[in-house]
Amino acid sequence: MKFIITLILGFAFGCLLIATQAFSWFRIQQMFHFESFHMYGVLFTAIGTAALSLIIIKKFKLKSIHGNPIEVQPKKLNWKGNIIGGLLFGIGWGLTGACSAPLYILMGMHVKIGIALFLGSIIGAYLFGIFDKRTIK
Amino acid sequence: MKNPLAWYIAGPLIGLIVPLLLILREKQFGISSSYRYIGSKIFKSIPYFKYNSEPDKWQLHFAYGLILAGFLTPFWGDFETITSEEANTIYGKISKTIYTPTNILYFFIGGILIGFGTRYANGCTSGHCIMGVSQFSKSSIVATVSFFIGGMIVSYGIIPFIF
Repeated sequence: MKFIITLILGFAFGCLLIATQAFSWFRIQQMFHFESFHMYGVLFTAIGTAALSLIIIKKFKLKSIHGNPIEVQPKKLNWKGNIIGGLLFGIGWGLTGACSAPLYILMGMHVKIGIALFLGSIIGAYLFGIFDKRTIK
Repeated sequence: MKNPLAWYIAGPLIGLIVPLLLILREKQFGISSSYRYIGSKIFKSIPYFKYNSEPDKWQLHFAYGLILAGFLTPFWGDFETITSEEANTIYGKISKTIYTPTNILYFFIGGILIGFGTRYANGCTSGHCIMGVSQFSKSSIVATVSFFIGGMIVSYGIIPFIF
């Protein structure tokens, strides 16, 4: 059941990203060049809706369907990681027009390109694993 | 249907995934931890991948939904249309052939940057830009600004010169 719920939510998210063309290389370039408000509109309203939902969840102490209180943890600040990792990811995003979710969408849509992206991302994660072992811990 | 779907309809619907995941699955929205989860099954000797990966397993299932959405799209229609005015811009022209298999190496290299960058930054557009910024988290705001700076550097400084 959990699997089905997650799959449906992922599918819905995918359809929305496709319908807004957020997966599209062209739309992402257009966004970075401020030539259209479209992608910013999507991002801002998504963030606004999510923020409002989190406030409502907190205010009314809403529980999950399993009856547990909903707790939200912000990610820990890591200047170096957030900035350098963020820049590298941004470069990858700019080159390919794909962030992590569109990467999976492309695996279904433009299979060869999607698989190249996916294999790259796993190797990238692997390289980070090696890097992490040497420098952080 | 009009193409692309208006931002004021799609944006709020995307935002609703956040409370739905929390209420139905007790999970914080994100997708790039799926790389670490997959890594934990392959690269077992590396400390970074030796972690309790079970809580991240759902992201793989979420990814299956994304792949399925991408796979089924061509049966519904063409969602890659741009206006003729847009097609005449420099990026419009490049975008016509961007997904051809000759660009596989280009996308592979981009993928490496995506994998490495999201793991170093501990999140991507979903986890940081949407989930993190909606919590007003400092870490996510720093990451999001970095994402856009990185993207702009490439979009202005590199792409016009390599295609």
